[in-house]
Amino acid sequence: MTVHDMKHAASDSARLEAVGGRLSRVDGPAKITGAAKYAFEQQLEGLVHAVLVGATIAAGKVSAIDRRAAETAPGVLAVLTPDTIMELKGASDWLGNPPSQQTYNPLAREVTYSGQHIAAVVAETFEQAVAAAALLKVWYDETPAIVDLSDGKAGDGIPIDAMTKEWGDAQAAFAAAPVRICAAYNTPREFQAAMEPHGLIARWEGDELTIWEPSQWLDGMARTYAEWFGVPFENVRLVSPYIGGGFGSKALALAHSAVAAAAAKMLGRPVKLVLNRPQNFTSYGGRAATRQTVAIGADRDGRIQSIVHRGVNETAVDGMWVEPLGSVTSIMYATPNFSSRQNVVRVNTVVPGAKRAPGENPSAFGIECAIDELAYELGIDPLEMRLINYAEQDPHTKKAWSTRQLREAFAAGAEAFGWAKRPPEPRSMRDGHQLIGWGVAAGTYPVRRAHGEAVVKILADGSVEVESSSIDMGQGTYTILAQTAAETLGVPVERVSVKLGDSHFARAGVTGGSRLAGVMTGTVYKAAGQALDELIGLALSDPRSPFQALQANTLQVRDGRIASPRGEGPELSIAEFMAAIGRDQIEAKGDTLPASTTAEERYKNYTTIAMSIPHTDGDYSRYSWCAHFVEVRVDEDFGTVRVSRVVSALDSGRLYNPKLAESQWKGGIIMGIGQALLEEGIVDRRHGRIVNGNFADYMLPTNADIPDIQTISVGIPDPHSSALGGKGVGELAIVGIAPAIANAVFHATGKRVRDLPITLEKLI
Amino acid sequence: MNDQVTISPTTLSVHLTINGRDQALEIEPRVTLLDALRDRLNLTGTKKGCDQGQCGACTVHVDGQRVLACLTLAAQVEGREITTIEGLADEDGTLNAVQAAFLEQDAFQCGYCTPGQIMSAVACIREGHAGSDEEIREYMAGNLCRCGAYPNIVAAVRQAAQELRS
Repeated sequence: MTVHDMKHAASDSARLEAVGGRLSRVDGPAKITGAAKYAFEQQLEGLVHAVLVGATIAAGKVSAIDRRAAETAPGVLAVLTPDTIMELKGASDWLGNPPSQQTYNPLAREVTYSGQHIAAVVAETFEQAVAAAALLKVWYDETPAIVDLSDGKAGDGIPIDAMTKEWGDAQAAFAAAPVRICAAYNTPREFQAAMEPHGLIARWEGDELTIWEPSQWLDGMARTYAEWFGVPFENVRLVSPYIGGGFGSKALALAHSAVAAAAAKMLGRPVKLVLNRPQNFTSYGGRAATRQTVAIGADRDGRIQSIVHRGVNETAVDGMWVEPLGSVTSIMYATPNFSSRQNVVRVNTVVPGAKRAPGENPSAFGIECAIDELAYELGIDPLEMRLINYAEQDPHTKKAWSTRQLREAFAAGAEAFGWAKRPPEPRSMRDGHQLIGWGVAAGTYPVRRAHGEAVVKILADGSVEVESSSIDMGQGTYTILAQTAAETLGVPVERVSVKLGDSHFARAGVTGGSRLAGVMTGTVYKAAGQALDELIGLALSDPRSPFQALQANTLQVRDGRIASPRGEGPELSIAEFMAAIGRDQIEAKGDTLPASTTAEERYKNYTTIAMSIPHTDGDYSRYSWCAHFVEVRVDEDFGTVRVSRVVSALDSGRLYNPKLAESQWKGGIIMGIGQALLEEGIVDRRHGRIVNGNFADYMLPTNADIPDIQTISVGIPDPHSSALGGKGVGELAIVGIAPAIANAVFHATGKRVRDLPITLEKLI
Repeated sequence: MNDQVTISPTTLSVHLTINGRDQALEIEPRVTLLDALRDRLNLTGTKKGCDQGQCGACTVHVDGQRVLACLTLAAQVEGREITTIEGLADEDGTLNAVQAAFLEQDAFQCGYCTPGQIMSAVACIREGHAGSDEEIREYMAGNLCRCGAYPNIVAAVRQAAQELRS
């Protein structure tokens, strides 16, 4: 991951390369030339291929599988069914809770969702495995399925008491409020749809397992494999040098992962298993479908008196997922009375999972549409409405915000967008047969924090290596850690090589919840500082050091050269100095955990999420914030909606690399445009199948769907959120986009669409 | 789902010219160009996103035209000139103008759709379909990017097209 060909003048180098500089991606040259080898692109001797077979019913039993034809097909090495796959042990969950079952079978006899893996075929070539998989005959005893939240059999679900947030007397205050609105907001099942499918290569050597798998959490997944196969954690090595998009989906070892690793063990051959695109819609959970009602009572000046919120999300028959629907509702606006409760409803689906800003995203769709509705009810500008109810502190915990540049975001976004020119009435702007609407919405995401480790090595040639088992799935980890190490050590960034994505490196926790950059820049800053201290210590004290005669108190390193701050005495490159004192390398391990942390606690810290630091820990409540301003054009005859302009002002604190942060923000905005207008998992009501599980029918935004997007950073360094002052970037920007678009559609058309996506039939 | 189907083990000798080099393969007729590149020739720069012709990640050039390698059998392109992302830069490593622009404009994040985007962009410019941002958006719409690098991709294609014109 060394940098080649940095296209900037030497005089610009320091500014570009320092933390906060707009350095181009250091992993970019590998990605634009095809040299970047993603996890399951490794070419291994003796590699064989596995293909999965999924259930065609959503509920019932697999009564029989006839595997004779498949077993005799050319090239087939094994046909794995629930009866023939090796037995695995149950594994603990991501909180570290012990398994509920002693054993685990990744191929199902009891089917609880359509597409659930029931068999796998392993063959010498991919083509042979695909062909033989089609030869399996499966018989089922089908039972009625609950296909989705609207199924008559679904019921009201299970209350999740941990989600209840209440203060004041919300019901009474709502009843007494002079102005009231109440509406229901729905979001459909949505999918992460990373361009790189899920998959892996598994190889056993004795009782040591190597897994090449795209991963947002090497240590957590390694733990799961170790537990499944009853081998020590150290025996499992996860390798994930690049990840072709994750968006929350690639943090866990899943059933297909277990099948591949089991097949490799059973056959004594390395096995490659990659989910085909339709299987990527059924083998792991996307965002759960949600239903919310939001009731707001206000006085006639627009001041909120009460918010009553009720939410429901779907979960699986045999797994629990809670999408926290009151997360934004409870903190965005000041209110003296508040009540939020949530149920989950079991349906026949794979367990839903994390998709970019789980909880905050659908939560914001409810409250940010509702506040718009209240603004119209009162005849108050929707932006003014938000300022009237601006929360000066966290309304839930009553703690001070660490930093909240939301007022600044509203001001900067409104100015750049031209919001002041907006006529308030719906249907008041038009261009030919296109109705034009302007909408605003806010977004937020908590600053999730954790601990990490990194190793920083200064090598004999003066170059620097950074090692961490954290990952880069496009956020720019390689780049910002190179910048952090370069700045801290005083070396040019092209002398820094960052190595990530190997669980044998220094440990890191999950890459999720927008926490990695804050954790790892802080960790590398600490490790690099320790390495620098050791370097300077040696320069001052080693008998062979040319600086020893200087009798200086300290030295400095700039541009890879060591000298006294006053310029007295010798000046040596790091390589010359290392040669002078005869050292191969100087190595420091940075670790943000307290020194008293036990080995067991360290293991728990990196392999579970149980030791994450709450964002409301201590005296402050820590969040990133944003304000989106959107223009839509709606064809009056056909009801088609196009987003024609987006201006977003965002507070992610200090940006470690604005060029890359802006790209992530835009990516979130674009995924939000897809959510608002295009994306919806459609379930067949007879068999509970996802019928649009492919890229032609589950529509993602294309280049032609996306207008110019302007992002404005309004953040300031937040010392309470991270060592170097940043807050979360990756998930923030998607939060609030869908309501901003829905609000713009109302302004354009006078129609309030409360069900995503906003498709044409809802407007004509 | 018919156990009467017989699967022929017959293989073909296929000769492909990839990035200017002759490659001989003994493969079954059903092997796609994409799988031949990735699994047989270790040319993994060409990506498999959907294997259904829907995402564009596998875009390569066949005789200079952009083609989806997942919908092309390797045997179909016998004797044709195939260019993949690995063959786009000069022999000395000098990047194609489109590659350089993608880096400068940060026209990718995870990088998985990027080889296909770049191969499409090179062809888009060559086809004369990079005259305006609207035209670039339309003629690059067959290459999905879930990270959402689209505005930066448009900027990169615009920049490269200008450089190639001047």
